[in-house]
Amino acid sequence: MIARELALAVWISLKTSGLAALVASALAVPAALFLAGRDFRGKKLILVVNQTWMAAPTVVIGLLFYSLLSRSGPLGGLGLLYTQTAMTVGQVFLVLPLIVGFSYTALRQVDRRARLTALTLGASRRQAGWIVLREARFPLLVAVLAGFARAISEVGIAMMLGGNIRNATRNITTSIALETAKGEFRNGVILGVLLLVVTLGINVLVQTGLRGRDEEP
Amino acid sequence: MGAPLYRLENLAYAYPGRPAASPFSLELDELAIPEGEILALVGPNGAGKTTLLMLLAFLLRPARGRLEFRGLDPWAAADGAAAARLGAVLLTHHPYLFKGTVADNVAFGLRLRRLPEAEIAARRSEALALVELEGWEHKPVSALSAGQAQRVAMARALALRPRALLLDEPTANLDAPLGLRMEAVLRDAGRAWGTTVVLSTHNFSQASRLAGRILYLSGGKQVEFGHENCFSGPAETDGRTSWIEIGPGLRLVFAGRVKGRVTCVIDPSAIRVTAADGPAAPGAGPNAFRGRVSRMEMTEAATALVRVVGEAVFRASVPLAEIERGGISLSREVLVTFDPASVRIVGERSGESGEHQ
Repeated sequence: MIARELALAVWISLKTSGLAALVASALAVPAALFLAGRDFRGKKLILVVNQTWMAAPTVVIGLLFYSLLSRSGPLGGLGLLYTQTAMTVGQVFLVLPLIVGFSYTALRQVDRRARLTALTLGASRRQAGWIVLREARFPLLVAVLAGFARAISEVGIAMMLGGNIRNATRNITTSIALETAKGEFRNGVILGVLLLVVTLGINVLVQTGLRGRDEEP
Repeated sequence: MGAPLYRLENLAYAYPGRPAASPFSLELDELAIPEGEILALVGPNGAGKTTLLMLLAFLLRPARGRLEFRGLDPWAAADGAAAARLGAVLLTHHPYLFKGTVADNVAFGLRLRRLPEAEIAARRSEALALVELEGWEHKPVSALSAGQAQRVAMARALALRPRALLLDEPTANLDAPLGLRMEAVLRDAGRAWGTTVVLSTHNFSQASRLAGRILYLSGGKQVEFGHENCFSGPAETDGRTSWIEIGPGLRLVFAGRVKGRVTCVIDPSAIRVTAADGPAAPGAGPNAFRGRVSRMEMTEAATALVRVVGEAVFRASVPLAEIERGGISLSREVLVTFDPASVRIVGERSGESGEHQ
């Protein structure tokens, strides 16, 4: 595997998984804020469904989207199959419940007095919501990073929706799968280590950048 | 005292899950709180004090009735409650400090009000000086003790100079001398900025020291008597002193010429307790009542709270040295005495008569 090809695979991994984690967070964190701040009928059911969804195998999600995006599928006309967009969409669906679950727990752990205090000091309900998010910023960051880690390390969706096309949709995990299938186990292990190094680098960068003055890392 | 800042009429609040037989956690027929008043809410746990403070802070919406703030019902308009909250600040029993520094916290409400940075800095310094935390701006809140956190929260509220300052047991985490100094801060803030202060407390001495009026709550309702040392009844006068009967043939005498129905309180620290048969027993005079010591509780200020049950029920704050000297102990027969001048009238309705305690 030549260096340029390898660099492109790393870039595709970072791009699709990073985007998937960001899009999923934009949907999941407000949903978690809503769930954490209210008690209503059906909330437990939503949480159970979310918990179950977390366990969905990547191949099943890949298959589901494959049937939607394939030429004969209802969304076949969009021409997304075997593109990075398809990989991202599938990964959003994969990591969404994980980020909802982690964010919900993080926001539930923020003292309920935080919102009350913000309100009594003159915050609007929207501002109070932001303040709760700010108070939970580190556990929320962990939720987003966990989503990213799940997306960058999965192979089923990337393989089924991306098709492992060289220089187009081949990422680190599908490269590992290919190298292993070819019997190039050494390359597979090197790529695996590379994946871990990339994930470690992202974690260190983000956590260092956002660490507060009096916060634990 | 000015026009009412708050006016409550037929107000009720219900927490979810209340029994159908008594659906409301708090019910008040009528209450007006004038601008600049210091009102103390006194009552046992579950009396409704915190609920009332939350209603006055517009953090809870009344289930029934009308709650006016500066002549308007904030709940009637879409953003009325949010606007009213800018003028009424609640300091909770266990205040929450946002992550960051002391300065971040004290400036929090000021920034929400978009005040200029120079004014924020000035008000922050002033508020921290009031709570005796000058120079603490850059301390992280995670390094504060419970008492320091309470003072930072108080500074955060004082910095806003609100129209109404609502305090839920404001000195609960402070030692006695500091608690007294913070009481002075609250009193001065009320005077300086015309701030109306409503505080809840279990500490009857604090209520009588600080407040111009005491509202007794019990079981979510206003009651006329909620505590030892509080008596009510039709007053009679001989022109020089006045009295109410607190039992058959038992007169509670107070200074001045008062007619009509009165409610009066005696500060526990103004009450002397002496052994009934001891050498220090005072001679017969006004306000001398016999009883037995039913409870003694140590406090932090080298005093004990002594509950005496007999001809009436009194609670006295007695220095430990005096207890030792006078041989005061549980079940001991004692004499409770206090000066008529130390009896404070907290409610007066002329021309009415009613039952006495």
